Amino acid sequence: MGLTAVLIRAAALRPRVLLVTMPGGTGVRLAAETELRSRDWPSAPTPAGADLMLVAGPDCSRLGPALDRLWQDMPRPCVRVRAVTADEVAPVLDAGRTRLGAPGGEPGEPDGSVGMNGHGSAEPESAGRPDGEPARAHREEQTEGEHDVRGVTGHEEGEHDHDGHPGHGHGDMEMPGGLAMAEPGEDRDGLTLDRLHVALGPFLADWPAGLTIRVVLQGDVIQRADLDEPAVGRPGDPFWSRPWIRAASGEPVGVGEAARLRAAAHLDSLGRLLSVAGWPAEAVTARRLRDDLLDGAPASAVLPRVERFARRVGRSRTLYWLTRGIGPLSAVDARAAGVTGPAVRAAGGDVPARYRQWLTDAVGDVRRMNATARLDPVAQESPRGRWDAERPPSAALATLLPRLLVGAELGAARLVVASLDPDPDELAVGRLEAAGG
Amino acid sequence: MAETGTWWALLVAPAMLLGFAAAALAADAALDARNAGRPITVSTVVRPFLAVPRAVLAQPRRLPASDRLLWRAGVITVPVAAVLSTLVIPFGDHVVADLSVGVVWFNAMEVLTWAGLWLAGWGPNAAFSLVGGYRFLAQGLAYELPLMFALISAATGAQSLRVTDIAGAQHGLWYAVWMPFAFVVYLAGVLAFSFLGPFAYPAGRDVAEGVLGETSGVDRLLLEAGRWLWLAAGAAMAVPLFLGGGAGPGLPPWAWSLVKTLLVLAALVWTLRRLPMVRADRYVELAWVVLLPLSVLQTLVPALTDLSL
Repeated sequence: MGLTAVLIRAAALRPRVLLVTMPGGTGVRLAAETELRSRDWPSAPTPAGADLMLVAGPDCSRLGPALDRLWQDMPRPCVRVRAVTADEVAPVLDAGRTRLGAPGGEPGEPDGSVGMNGHGSAEPESAGRPDGEPARAHREEQTEGEHDVRGVTGHEEGEHDHDGHPGHGHGDMEMPGGLAMAEPGEDRDGLTLDRLHVALGPFLADWPAGLTIRVVLQGDVIQRADLDEPAVGRPGDPFWSRPWIRAASGEPVGVGEAARLRAAAHLDSLGRLLSVAGWPAEAVTARRLRDDLLDGAPASAVLPRVERFARRVGRSRTLYWLTRGIGPLSAVDARAAGVTGPAVRAAGGDVPARYRQWLTDAVGDVRRMNATARLDPVAQESPRGRWDAERPPSAALATLLPRLLVGAELGAARLVVASLDPDPDELAVGRLEAAGG
Repeated sequence: MAETGTWWALLVAPAMLLGFAAAALAADAALDARNAGRPITVSTVVRPFLAVPRAVLAQPRRLPASDRLLWRAGVITVPVAAVLSTLVIPFGDHVVADLSVGVVWFNAMEVLTWAGLWLAGWGPNAAFSLVGGYRFLAQGLAYELPLMFALISAATGAQSLRVTDIAGAQHGLWYAVWMPFAFVVYLAGVLAFSFLGPFAYPAGRDVAEGVLGETSGVDRLLLEAGRWLWLAAGAAMAVPLFLGGGAGPGLPPWAWSLVKTLLVLAALVWTLRRLPMVRADRYVELAWVVLLPLSVLQTLVPALTDLSL
């Protein structure tokens, strides 16, 4: 027993964290990413590889079942904690680690001993599988995160209607393991291949939080893509557009402050894109720069580093060779869809054009960070385009996605989404405005 | 020239491979820490090994309709093949088994990872895992033939498939010097069969770690260990093939083997973070249109030299 206790304590020194960002949780996600990086706790993209689940952001009842499935999919022993605000991240992570390292692990006993400062920032969860029986068929509908070899029994059409149960879709047929068989269909070359119905999102790693795209895959090529309504439980408060919202409501906001946030937003998007492109070292650089900007680092200190980063990534021939021609979007099409931001200005319109536009904009914005003029929310672009509360810039980007994804290979599709990077929190604002008249 | 068959070599070879793999992992952790702005201390380089107690503790997950047997077989194949490949790699004067077809043995073990990773992707019955499996096959189609020609270049130069003969045939002039292209292609192949860094395509973050995504506990540990063991095995094999084996002035052969292996390993670890992940659909084109013809030409160089002697 002594040895087990030592092993448990050793393993808990460096938990692998499944960071799940809820809609509206951008600020908490940023704090969590910074904290995990400085602690050297690796981030796991799947529940299978994680032992600590950190839910970042406000509660969202619609995504509750999806969260539970991710939780059930984690190997025991594991711990689930929640941080509602950015300040809670560090104490909640500490609490999670303490529970993970507790010898014995109190299997099957919910322990609520970690409640942080009153409002339930650490969710009481059992550290052991409650009944010792791993959820038998949860996989059949599980999804949200990552994988779902859900079979298709002719119900798939109906299931694209979002009925409040993301990833819900049972087949009627009883099959081994509770799964239905994939159904063959013709692919683009006229061959007959199995069709797999897979949901991308809402909790995929390096993915806009809360966005769900349902795709039909043959091999790893997307045959069909449908955008789900974003799941929102509360009024959207898009982190990256706050200065524009404040300025639009008449509050005085400095141009410098807006430029700082816009540069940080582009670096956040670049970090995600580089992570999806499989360049983790540069993704870390982008995120460090982003965090320094949000911390209020002076322009003179950040500018040389941003320029160096922009040179290295922007001039990387390898990255260009690997991403060129993916996700072509002409300026005319983009404008027709209502896109106003960097995605329109990116000459050439493929993935490299878009990341280079972000790099150029970020460098320009860092130079402009000391400006003191007052922000004009109409003349000055928000990170994803001209701010319009009724039709936020991300809405146009999101509507473009299904069209761009069809025919793309899965990895290319991830690059397309990351290179447009719509912010689902903005979509929530648009819908609420529309609903309110 | 090489001593073979001593019983203890059978134990020492895997242990040394493990040591090299651990050194590579520690170096990678240190570079990671520097990049992330963390102080580099002893604990920085030790922390990755905390994955071992984690893996031992994790309870197995059961997935519906997974192919447990094939999955497990695939996961085990990868590290086991890496260890078996070291049997023919001479270290200084010692080699476990000095096969007359040593190069073929190494290549065969490396090709076993094709089966291993494909099964590891197939087994869990999950879409992203399966895509990871496909991806390794696509990557294999791209890297394998140039890699084979790189191996053949070295073998042709020495007119032998015995690894110790190849090391012995490089009298003062390393094959890395007069077959530089084969050397580079070989090193790229090493990164590709260890599916690390720019060749992490089968375990890419865009498909939620692909073949690794559904593994947990000991399964994950075996696959992760397999990657680093293959990197170490590939670095160790580069020494007799291209860098003259244990030959060198002053130091005993084992010391030269050690130094050369560590240098190759350091170069490989450094490369891991310099490039983005190479997507196989683009790499296949490069491999077949550029690398393969050039590899054949490279093989012609030692072949014609042999003929003219």
